Amino acid sequence: MDNIYRPYLMNIRDMIEEAPGVRTFRLNFLNEDEGKKFQFKAGQFALYSAFGYGECTFCIASSPTRMDAIECTFREAGRVTNALRELNVGDTLGFRGPYGNVFPIEEWEGKNLVFIAGGIALPPLRSVIWNCLDLRDRFKDVTIIYGAKSVADLVYKHELKEWDARDDVNLITTVDPGGETPDWPGKVGFVPTVVEQAEPSSNNAIAIVCGPPIMIKFTLPVLEKLGFKQEKVYTTLENRMKCGLGKCGRCNIGCTYVCKEGPVFTAEEINKMPDEF
Amino acid sequence: MEKRLNKKDFDNFITSLRGKGYKTIAPKKDNNLIVLDEVQGGGEISLDHVITNNSIKEFFFPKTEKVLSYRMEKNNVQIEEPEDFAVKSVIFGSRPCDAFSLPVMDKVFNWDCSDKFWVQRREAVTIVTIACDKCDTYCFCTSVGLAPDAKGGSDVLFTKISGDDYVVETVTEKGESLIKEFEGVFSDPLSEASDRQVATVEKKFEIEKVKSWLDENFVHTVWTDFSLKCIGCGACTFVCPTCHCFDIVDECTMTKGDRVKNWDGCQFKMFTMHTSGHNPRSTQGERWRQRIMHKFKYYVEKFDSILCVGCGRCSRVCPADMNISEMLEIIATEASQPGNKE
Repeated sequence: MDNIYRPYLMNIRDMIEEAPGVRTFRLNFLNEDEGKKFQFKAGQFALYSAFGYGECTFCIASSPTRMDAIECTFREAGRVTNALRELNVGDTLGFRGPYGNVFPIEEWEGKNLVFIAGGIALPPLRSVIWNCLDLRDRFKDVTIIYGAKSVADLVYKHELKEWDARDDVNLITTVDPGGETPDWPGKVGFVPTVVEQAEPSSNNAIAIVCGPPIMIKFTLPVLEKLGFKQEKVYTTLENRMKCGLGKCGRCNIGCTYVCKEGPVFTAEEINKMPDEF
Repeated sequence: MEKRLNKKDFDNFITSLRGKGYKTIAPKKDNNLIVLDEVQGGGEISLDHVITNNSIKEFFFPKTEKVLSYRMEKNNVQIEEPEDFAVKSVIFGSRPCDAFSLPVMDKVFNWDCSDKFWVQRREAVTIVTIACDKCDTYCFCTSVGLAPDAKGGSDVLFTKISGDDYVVETVTEKGESLIKEFEGVFSDPLSEASDRQVATVEKKFEIEKVKSWLDENFVHTVWTDFSLKCIGCGACTFVCPTCHCFDIVDECTMTKGDRVKNWDGCQFKMFTMHTSGHNPRSTQGERWRQRIMHKFKYYVEKFDSILCVGCGRCSRVCPADMNISEMLEIIATEASQPGNKE
């Protein structure tokens, strides 16, 4: 019987400083056979471990269309993420996953896509954004609205430029009031407000929202006002997860285990849940 | 198969078990406590208690258990699997409520994927239960569908009859093969029927009424009211035979370490705290609601089992004197008298 708590060993191939305290690792499986067999879909998450410190949970930030490396982006915020930050290119870490459900990209084909992200919550959407952009002809208009506290806090700055330069992507970036710099070309304002001002059309559209709980709670009513039906709005919840396997008992919202039945939910599903996220 | 064993032959049974390599666990005195622990002989066994202070849980899901070890030399990490964690054992003298917690917990440790540490210990351990011949006011097994002589989860059930004799019933094939293995220790059952000395546990509430009330009252003043005296110590979760929440942490030196599962509990504030500081259950009332909802609604809907066996340990151990069966009684009463929703 397999040990469900045993992680894969991964090698840090590259790392990128995204923002103050935020780093991206590009990872390869130490065991090539494991790497060849490994599959995941956009929306899934994993447990990353710094040996000697423990495990922590974040999404897989890379797209399943780009399997040359698995990527994760994390902010140093606690014991394990601080330990991960101490690791360097060539070091080994543990990786357990993929876990959770997925964004149903196939169901979105032929539709307009509106991605809305706040702060360090762009990484989960980056996986599905690149997944969709790599299959660009299957979707109609793609809008990305991304906000952070300040200009410095924006992650994937190079990719934001790349998306901005594309004719087939409408990128709107914003920073919270006071977080702008003199040369900031984007908007200033909180994400829900900017979404309301941008007025993305809900016609034949899917909205995918990810951010801190407070941002999600304020953005969902805006989308409803813009005509997005609840079943057309997706989000990914980040309740605290330790096992990722529906056993440790901490990520549930009512009867729903976020680690198993989530983290991807529609607004319709979320509105039926008790307010515990 | 039915057999008989006199209390004076318990020692012979335990000695025989140990002689065949079984680790034997039974209730024994430990200062003022009665605990399930390893015994060397039948003389150590104590049977004058209502229920042991610790539950059967820790023999399948230890307080702390290694799920893997690793060695680190520069950047070379080697993972090693734990070995010999499932030792051939007999738990003798657990109570029916404790035994029943095992098939209930099988469901969460086996759904979707199996936790081999739980599963392999379950395979390695045989449960010999002794039916309760006494109870106290904290017991409420009959309110959650069990009985002082319930057989579920046991491999063998002992029930006290006349004198110090016990009637021995095998419940599972595993139990049957254990009794056959030690056939010489047991006598044939008495020819005439004997009265079985089984405790009478008063039914305190209708579980269906509790469930239907919970379905409608996620928001209600009782959650705050009930939890006002709770100090969030989590003792209730640790003594509970069905609480299965855990944490995973690393314990290490610079070059080697263990990754361990440790018991954790929903009554602790940090249990659901996000790294950002956001906490979906930031008040003790919300955490208390989670405990009740998980046991009597969520687990029922997910796994078709109540996550409570009515052992009453949580109430006995609570330093703030919170009594779960009294609370469920109130809830069951509220079910027929619409309450004051917030």
